[in-house]
Amino acid sequence: MDIKMNYTFDGRLKTVLLVLMGLGAICLAASFFHNPDGYHSRFWSNFLHNSLFFTGIALMSTFFLAVCITAYAGWHVVFKRVWEAFGQFLLIGLILMGIITVGVWLHAHHLYHWTDAASLDPSSDIFDPILKHKSALLNPMMYTILGVGMCAVWLLFHSRLRKFSLAEDKKSDPSDFSAFRKSKVWAAVFLPIAGFTSAGAIWLWLMSVDAHWYSTLFAWYTGASWFVSMICVTILVLLYLKSRGYYEFVNMEHFHDLGKFLFAFSIFWTYLWFSQFMLIWYGNVGEETIYFRERYDNYPVLFYGNLLINFVFPFFVLMRNDTKRKTGTLILVSLVVLFGHWWDFFLMIKPGVVHTAHEAYAHAHEGAHVAIKGMSFPGLLEIGIFIGFLAGFLFFIFSRLTKAPLIAKGDPYIQESLHHHT
Amino acid sequence: MSAPISPVRQPLITGSKTYHQITEDLCSPTERAPNATWVIAFLISVSVLGFGLFCIAWTIWKGIGTWGSNRTIGWAWDITNFVWWIGIGHAGTLISAILLLFRQKWRTGVNRAAEAMTIFAVLCAALFPGIHVGRAWVVFYFFPYPNTRGPLWPNFNSPLLWDLFAISTYFTVSLLFWYTGLVPDFATVRDRAKGIRKKVYTFLAFGWTGAAKHWQRWESLSLVLAGIATPLVLSVHTIVSFDFATSVIPGWHTTIFPPYFVAGAIFSGFAMVQTLMLITRKVLNLQDYITVEHIESMNKVILATGSIVGVAYLTELFIAWYSGYIYEQFAFFNRAVGIYWWSYFGMMACNVISPQFFWNKKLRRSITFTFFMSIFINIGMWFERFVIIATTLARDYLPSSWSFYKPTWVEVGIYLGTMGLFFTLYLIFVRVAPVVAIAEVKSILKAGGDQYVEKHKAHHEKAELEAPAHH
Repeated sequence: MDIKMNYTFDGRLKTVLLVLMGLGAICLAASFFHNPDGYHSRFWSNFLHNSLFFTGIALMSTFFLAVCITAYAGWHVVFKRVWEAFGQFLLIGLILMGIITVGVWLHAHHLYHWTDAASLDPSSDIFDPILKHKSALLNPMMYTILGVGMCAVWLLFHSRLRKFSLAEDKKSDPSDFSAFRKSKVWAAVFLPIAGFTSAGAIWLWLMSVDAHWYSTLFAWYTGASWFVSMICVTILVLLYLKSRGYYEFVNMEHFHDLGKFLFAFSIFWTYLWFSQFMLIWYGNVGEETIYFRERYDNYPVLFYGNLLINFVFPFFVLMRNDTKRKTGTLILVSLVVLFGHWWDFFLMIKPGVVHTAHEAYAHAHEGAHVAIKGMSFPGLLEIGIFIGFLAGFLFFIFSRLTKAPLIAKGDPYIQESLHHHT
Repeated sequence: MSAPISPVRQPLITGSKTYHQITEDLCSPTERAPNATWVIAFLISVSVLGFGLFCIAWTIWKGIGTWGSNRTIGWAWDITNFVWWIGIGHAGTLISAILLLFRQKWRTGVNRAAEAMTIFAVLCAALFPGIHVGRAWVVFYFFPYPNTRGPLWPNFNSPLLWDLFAISTYFTVSLLFWYTGLVPDFATVRDRAKGIRKKVYTFLAFGWTGAAKHWQRWESLSLVLAGIATPLVLSVHTIVSFDFATSVIPGWHTTIFPPYFVAGAIFSGFAMVQTLMLITRKVLNLQDYITVEHIESMNKVILATGSIVGVAYLTELFIAWYSGYIYEQFAFFNRAVGIYWWSYFGMMACNVISPQFFWNKKLRRSITFTFFMSIFINIGMWFERFVIIATTLARDYLPSSWSFYKPTWVEVGIYLGTMGLFFTLYLIFVRVAPVVAIAEVKSILKAGGDQYVEKHKAHHEKAELEAPAHH
């Protein structure tokens, strides 16, 4: 039996992904030139949206690997190299978020209301005391230090876990588990660090887009969205690799478990969505309800669609036992739900950005209104940019997959994973 | 051997047990006459329960004025105890349902007792709303039954009513789950019993014969119940948190409450499981079934959930500052340095700081240390609810109505009484049912028994270079 232990990133796939990346770049450039407001809001909001989305997927794969190592999980070991490859995208995430950060310093964009100096100036007619209060955290310096610092910490932990995983491949004595033991320590320490930093990153990068608004649950809600997206990409990548003759040991038992995670965490995401929405709706405090009021009134299709696509659809399709074991169904659900969570991020980012852009434009142009495309509903450019980023993510992870054997044969759980049954 | 077992896994059953020894070890506590320790513990529990019943009678006879609650602090010990007990129940459902779905083999050593604990804890919890209404004889007004007074009586918009449904559903499902697991074990006890005991266990075992069809249905039912119980682990404490979070009271109205309450509930529940299991394994000599591995695993869950609770506490503090909302900021300032600062301090020390000792493997595996920690954590989780409830209510929007609460002997007595009820029921339970699930422990013997784990290791070393290792 010939087992493919090493992945070859073939020319055809490279070409397809490069073409799609090119398409994304063209769409991104086109969105740069659609600039009625003068702040390039469409371009920058798309850039932030996709950068955050894919960086989060990379973070969640590293986090989940750490969870699995800590929890003595064995089932995933046969394909853990895929998650390790996802985790390496954190480096690209650092670069992408670095570009946003440079933009903050250069005032190249108006993504964040709190970067506006006039709003923080008590003598200004648009002085905003709430932003002034928050400026101890929401300022370019903290944005840079915390953002880069958190990415660097994630990368550090990722690279240590990767290093120990690779060291296991090379060991000569099968009963030598020293690398595994070291990875357990790093994985366990990463859990609380990831717990705090993921929340911090979400507050800083995402919640501060709606700079006046706050919700204690927001970080966990967004984290759940990232997690579900990560599972979707995992299923799709694994099914693709299998179709190319790799990972013959990854069978329907493993997909069944991934399907269960997709099912369970889609419900968990909905639980957090409901908890946040219901408590704000019930409490009816203006400062809090404004977030949903805006989305309810001006984004009804996205608002209700979010629930249909991310809850109703995966819930009813994946409820049955057999649907989690069928390739076609899994591809469909993963594609739809991945797109659904990208849609969820659209809904988290765009209303805040467009609101800031409208206000800034009106202030500079004596109350005039400006219409910006691609801010209230994803247009073709937005879809193109998403496809471009997705292709870039896949290009990166496939090129990383070639760097190490596909199967971590030295992992102490490898036999359990090879003979996994649910 | 059904499937390979990783060489890094530790045995979950020690002492090279055979199937027959497992039956002997786990059935015998129900077959012997109780020893002196049990009798003394039982007498103490029943006495405390008796005092609790007296205090309840006193409350109903004299009225709710015998409590320390006042116009500002209308909720205090009663609701604190209610939330505390409900929270404790959660570990049982987590162990029986979620760990079953996750195929965690170590759950078999502790699931039976944890499920029993859930049921007894929910009973203790349910007592408090029942007597807090004051007129306990019209407690059926809780339920939306058709009546002649007009439309259905309760307010469906109230989270207190949702709570009623959540808890009664939770109780029902937990009871079914527990009893389903008990059926094959009751049959085992029945097959060994004589006389009147045999008659009783014959009835309890529902005619179980151990046929393949029985096992197949039993497995399916367990899985279905696990599927139903899993959302209940989340929903029950979520709805308890809604009791507070739907209000607009600073410190209560915060969106993180639902998942944070759930994590806290699992945290305190595992602490209570530890307290019970550490005593049970010693008194009933079950160290081979509830091993240090089990204790360490539960300590890890305690560390994880304690840290989640810690992240939630700090999130609340951060958002209180970030929101720029002075009332919210005051609520947290008041918790930390206000009149009840000591309960906040106790909460932080017991819930967030003390579990961090479990990063140390030696402490995680120390029986004595774990026992003290389990008590600390339950004190800490009680303080958490007291902080949320009494501290917040004591300082509301109107300084003129600021007030102070201290419990009366009646409230203390009722609280102690629920402890008495809990331990009385638990002590009866260990006498009438196998405290470790016999059938489930047997199902993992070949994977988790120490004599087999050694064989797996040798097998693994041979298998290591087979399968995917050809290039």
